[in-house]
Amino acid sequence: MKYMMTPTSIQRIIPRRAIAMLTVTAALVVSLAPSRFLAPAWADDAMSVVQTTVNQALEVLRDTQTPLVQRQDKLRQIVSTTFDFTEMAKSALGYHWKQITADQQQEFTKAFVAFIEDSYLSKVNDYRGQQVAFLRMTTDGPQYAEVSTDIVEPEGKDPIHLNYRLVQEGATWKIYDVTVDAISIIANYRNQFNRVMNNQGYPTLISDLKSKQAALAASLANH
Amino acid sequence: MTSGSKQIERTGARWMMLASSLLAVVSFATPAMSQGAAPMSQNPAPQSAANPSNQPPGENNQGGYADPIAAFNEPMFTFNLKLDDWVLRPVASGYATIAPQPVRESVSRFFNNAHVIPRFANNLFQLKLAEAGDEFARFGINTTLGLAGFFDPADLWFGLKKHPNDFGLTMRYYDIPTGAYLMLPFFGPSTIGDTVGLVADGAMDPISYFVPFWVAVTVATGSGAVQAVNYRSLHLNQFEEADRYAIDLYGAVQDAYLQIRVQDVKKLHDEQW
Repeated sequence: MKYMMTPTSIQRIIPRRAIAMLTVTAALVVSLAPSRFLAPAWADDAMSVVQTTVNQALEVLRDTQTPLVQRQDKLRQIVSTTFDFTEMAKSALGYHWKQITADQQQEFTKAFVAFIEDSYLSKVNDYRGQQVAFLRMTTDGPQYAEVSTDIVEPEGKDPIHLNYRLVQEGATWKIYDVTVDAISIIANYRNQFNRVMNNQGYPTLISDLKSKQAALAASLANH
Repeated sequence: MTSGSKQIERTGARWMMLASSLLAVVSFATPAMSQGAAPMSQNPAPQSAANPSNQPPGENNQGGYADPIAAFNEPMFTFNLKLDDWVLRPVASGYATIAPQPVRESVSRFFNNAHVIPRFANNLFQLKLAEAGDEFARFGINTTLGLAGFFDPADLWFGLKKHPNDFGLTMRYYDIPTGAYLMLPFFGPSTIGDTVGLVADGAMDPISYFVPFWVAVTVATGSGAVQAVNYRSLHLNQFEEADRYAIDLYGAVQDAYLQIRVQDVKKLHDEQW
């Protein structure tokens, strides 16, 4: 916000006609440009993306008045805007991604997204009012960032270190991996999927994934 | 601080000597060994299939881990799960109902304190003198003021933190290849190198110098079993939780173990001055 100028100060620098031209051009560019270029240049950095997402999620978790199903829907909405689930699915399959057909890629992505979402949602019931501390952001080149957070556990227990790995896509940051106590979740699934792909093949992988997801969904419905 | 701490000091001095000699061996062995064998557990076979230019950081492992002795590991993993299912978990949950959590946490601290020597020695092997000193002081304080280690006044009152370390980490610290992934019966996930480390750390237990071998083994087994039950009682939902979110539990455990070991040694390198 500090970069914003008041209309009068702009007018002093640029003549009125030029402003009109610029406005028209800008309107044209904006209406024609793909939506991902719309985000302003001062768009949120990785840290504020994580903060916003986590705070929104915490709000839903703390709101015990609303029925569980509604809260889960809300959480699903929140995570779907900041997590790049497609990239996660692709990354979790590693080099096997290129070995399956386009249809299978779609099928796998859909199943994996549902599985990850339900894993996340099933944590709703585990929430015991823990606080989240946003510690720091480290960058790896201009495109990648890692945001470290701690889930503060009750007295005497070590905090859970939860880090979010983000990639810049256009002007927005998307989460592509989460580490729990320094264990990368996507890498962990990659090793699991790699074993199933090598030992049994894709049909087993997809059916196992679907049945695990169904089990999670069923336990969610029971609450 | 009377005869007890003298005993510790003497043991400490002995370990200091052993440490420096071992360190010499380690530093000579390092270049020779790293030429000899490839670090299999950290070297995913199909890595070449990856596209290195289009990869997020820390994502160079596009396949899984090489697992040359999977034919041994997989049945052992099943064995451990059954052992847990039939013996460890039932015993641990029974124990959890009679012993309140603070008691079980105290027991865990007691065993932790008793195993000071491998931590002290391995910090020394890595020339982490301050950390070794902390461990030494922690043992002195917790054994006396902490009533044989059931409490941790060293941290609470003196701010002396734990510095976990083991011989497997020492090998990794000096880039000695730790070999293939190995699932040990009873002990759980390991690698060839970490198993050597487990034996080396076990051999540092001073009891083995004073009693016959079979007594030492029996005592170690007994205390190991008690520790396992105690640990499991503090983590009763661990496997159930893991299995809920795993597609392939073996692969999940393997990866978690190997990632943790890599992280641990990275931490050891990072904390250096």
